[in-house]
Amino acid sequence: MAEEKFVPKKKTYVEDIERTLYDIKDEDHSVYKTQSGLTEDIIRDISKRKNDPQWMLDFRLKSLAVYNSLALPTWGPDISELNMDDIVTYVQPDAKMTGNWQDVPADIKNTFDRLGIPEAEQKQSLAGVGAQYDSEVVYHSIQDDLVKQGVIYTDMETAIREHEDVVKEYFMTLVPPKDHKFAALHGAVWSGGSFVYVPEGVHVEIPLQSYFRLNAAGAGQFEHTLIIVEKNASLHFIEGCSAPKYNVTNLHAGCVELFVKEGARLRYSTIENWSRNMMNLNTKRALVEKDGIIEWVSGSFGSHVSCLYPCSILHGENARCEFTGVTFASKGQNLDTGASVIHAAPHTSANINTRTISKAGGMATYRSAVKVTRRAPFAKCSVNCESLMLDNASRSDTLPVMDIEGDEADIGHEAKIGRISDEAIFYLTSRGIDEDEARAMIVRGFVEPIAKELPLEYAVEMNNLVNIELEGTMG
Amino acid sequence: MAELKTFSRIPMRTWRWLGVNESRIPADINEHVKTQKILVEAGKEDEVVLTQREGGQYELQVHIEEGAKLHLVNAQLVPDDALYTCRVKVFVGKGATFAYTVVEAGARHTATELHVDLVGDDSKADVWGLYFGDGESVIDLNYVIRQGGRRTDANMQVRGALLGKSEKIFRGTLDFLEGSKGSVGREDEEVVLLSPNVRNRSVPIMLSHEDDVDGHHAVSVGKMDEDKLFYLMSRGLDLAEAQRLVVEASFNPVLDRIPDAELKAEIDTYLQRRLSNG
Amino acid sequence: MAENLLEIKDLHAGVEGKEILKGLSLSVGKGEVHVILGPNGSGKSTLMNIIMGHSKYEVTSGTMSFEGEDITGLKTFERARKGLFLSFQTPEEIPGITVENMIRTSKQAISGERVKIVPFRRQLKATMEELKMKPEYAERYMNVGFSGGEKKRTEILQLLMLNPKLALLDETDSGLDVDAVQIVSEGVAKFHNEDNSCLIITHNTRILEKLKVDRVHVLINGEIVEEGGPELIDDINRRGFTHILDAQAEK
Repeated sequence: MAEEKFVPKKKTYVEDIERTLYDIKDEDHSVYKTQSGLTEDIIRDISKRKNDPQWMLDFRLKSLAVYNSLALPTWGPDISELNMDDIVTYVQPDAKMTGNWQDVPADIKNTFDRLGIPEAEQKQSLAGVGAQYDSEVVYHSIQDDLVKQGVIYTDMETAIREHEDVVKEYFMTLVPPKDHKFAALHGAVWSGGSFVYVPEGVHVEIPLQSYFRLNAAGAGQFEHTLIIVEKNASLHFIEGCSAPKYNVTNLHAGCVELFVKEGARLRYSTIENWSRNMMNLNTKRALVEKDGIIEWVSGSFGSHVSCLYPCSILHGENARCEFTGVTFASKGQNLDTGASVIHAAPHTSANINTRTISKAGGMATYRSAVKVTRRAPFAKCSVNCESLMLDNASRSDTLPVMDIEGDEADIGHEAKIGRISDEAIFYLTSRGIDEDEARAMIVRGFVEPIAKELPLEYAVEMNNLVNIELEGTMG
Repeated sequence: MAELKTFSRIPMRTWRWLGVNESRIPADINEHVKTQKILVEAGKEDEVVLTQREGGQYELQVHIEEGAKLHLVNAQLVPDDALYTCRVKVFVGKGATFAYTVVEAGARHTATELHVDLVGDDSKADVWGLYFGDGESVIDLNYVIRQGGRRTDANMQVRGALLGKSEKIFRGTLDFLEGSKGSVGREDEEVVLLSPNVRNRSVPIMLSHEDDVDGHHAVSVGKMDEDKLFYLMSRGLDLAEAQRLVVEASFNPVLDRIPDAELKAEIDTYLQRRLSNG
Repeated sequence: MAENLLEIKDLHAGVEGKEILKGLSLSVGKGEVHVILGPNGSGKSTLMNIIMGHSKYEVTSGTMSFEGEDITGLKTFERARKGLFLSFQTPEEIPGITVENMIRTSKQAISGERVKIVPFRRQLKATMEELKMKPEYAERYMNVGFSGGEKKRTEILQLLMLNPKLALLDETDSGLDVDAVQIVSEGVAKFHNEDNSCLIITHNTRILEKLKVDRVHVLINGEIVEEGGPELIDDINRRGFTHILDAQAEK
């Protein structure tokens, strides 16, 4: 007459989360695709089609040479499934960049409608919107009052034409192509992305959002995001990404370079929900000057493999980094995420706070590096990472490194790994809450410190995801 | 710089630029390894105290059978111009306990690997380590506890202090293997940095392939607690004396485990002397 | 005697093959207040957990019924929905779930109806005031960073908000200072009425001062060895359990 234990009776794992919204594929409407693979001819072809200035063509070719000279990383998830010969690096959609949704081809517009982008823009919850479809940005807008204050928000191609000097000064200086193989790849084939310039003292009160959608099967997306927030200015930038699921490998190797000047503040929020055939090998870096603040909010839910470790270089005195991240790895996913912080000036400080969940055979790794150089006395850094495992088919690893020089640093690190405790379930069920809901509540509570940092729509999305992921899985 | 070769590897690799993936030792080190085997038969209890006073390469192979207990004390006090490596491999059977007290205090270059396999159900590892670096010494440690049995219990407590231009890497791994249901693991490292020219690398790793575990790790690196120093100085100690006392206090939980009073006193005096020279 | 609310008959139960309750029988009538006394380790907390259906414990024989219905096979949340409530000796910390969210979710789960936010908040605020809890605690995560006294008050807050039929109070007064015991016992007294019953484990008679105790049971080594009226409390307070244990040994 033993009481039934709360062990799963019938594990009806959801094969893939309910992604209908993201999974609707449009027909292939590209006007042009390069051949698959990576050769000098392909690079020249992309460059010509994009009307690159000569210096950019040179940059691409140099990056290709670097790409060919570098080996794959010897650590992290297995990416041997990725065969560059099969990847189409440039897919030009049948749409010209416009500032009017009416001019965007109907099914591309429908895709963004489903994702709620034009709606958010209309409701004034976004001050500017960029929408990229495959390799090119098809829509870009910004509120007039921001333009009047000198704020620039446009696609990278327009930025090269209209603000060539600025782009030339900053482009891939923070993430140089030689940084690693996929940075070099990005340098060679990059296309699309966003350019933001916030002049001194200007506060952009409402967020800007760029959304990246990859529709073509077997394609790569290599958007470049370059943001410069000048002295005492501020900005909140939101990046969203998704793709429908295919049974061939897609590749995302974007690059984000953020320049936070003296006394400036930038919040960079990302929700990544790529389909589970995506290799997401993304590079993000911020350079923060005196009294500047970078805030990262990062949600990793999708993709087959992810390597994502936003890096903050605290370059000026009192520069600060706040990193908040959540990763949910389910069946067929290997999500290797984390952060790195380089303290390169006195009195710099950082807080890293992450939660990872693994389930149904998913693998989640928290990886980080905190480096305190000799130039950074009185650096302070505190790291807190917690991992929750929902079953023993899954994996959860934590691999932080702290590298500290000098004797004036104050570094603390704490990590926990475990499962939902039976006692917590008992407590909640003793209040009349059923077992599934009790588990869902505990998981939601676990990610709550992160969820409250997300933009509202995304927090709702994350909650739905937790509910869907936990439904019916607990018996 | 002299040529180096790999002595030990981290269980899971990470960025190369951090230089923590391998523990490297001078290639021209004497190849001779002094090996010692320790067997504790089922149900027995033993205590072994080793003091290494000569540089060179050492290896300890430890086998603790079902229900047995071993306390191994391994104090490294080799001359400060010597090279020292030590590899300790430990097999822990069902219900057996491995208690380890290790002091890494001498040598110009120390590289040690501790590899504990908690194979049996209800096996236990209780590891307490202390390291001390000064001058230009290099301390390179790689401790791994693999928890394979059910309800295993791992505890890794490491305390250290760095002076002069010393450099240290501590990798501490708790690896919960699949099937290690009901296991718990705890790892703490506390490092005090006492000179602007030191470099400290800490890598607390936790790997888990089992959900029914409870793992926890924490690292704290930095200056001494100013309130503590203030308290001691308000009692008349100068800064150097107060610092010495605080470092001593952090070492004591490790030193107190050394059963041999003479050895304990020797290490104490040794550390005191080096602390006051720093 | 009033109509029986909880009826336990010849209950044998334990954990991992070890028997802790060895044929325990107990009944609590509607509107009654019962007290269980017993030395540490006698099985008092185990009994509370088993009544609430903790999966860690195995019931090997005997029955438990609530309002005439056998609940032995019911899950914890089903028992809670029937009107059982356990005030935990060490309440769990649930990070990320606020006190307000927790109580509202429970109330909805138990009543099966949507709880309207405005009246709920009003009631919550008033009840917190009665328990001298700061209103900001409604927004704090369940028991995270709470002192012992705050945790116990939060248990009583849930008791009053959920208004069950039977409150199982497992040392709700332990580790509290005099003022806190006062607040908690006022809370329990407020809960108790002719319909609502209490089964109380305590080492402290102060919590009972505002209640009329109907029956006292002495639990030793997994069995009820003595029962009586409230006078038994004073008796135990004066003489301890030793004489009962001795009498047991003689038997």
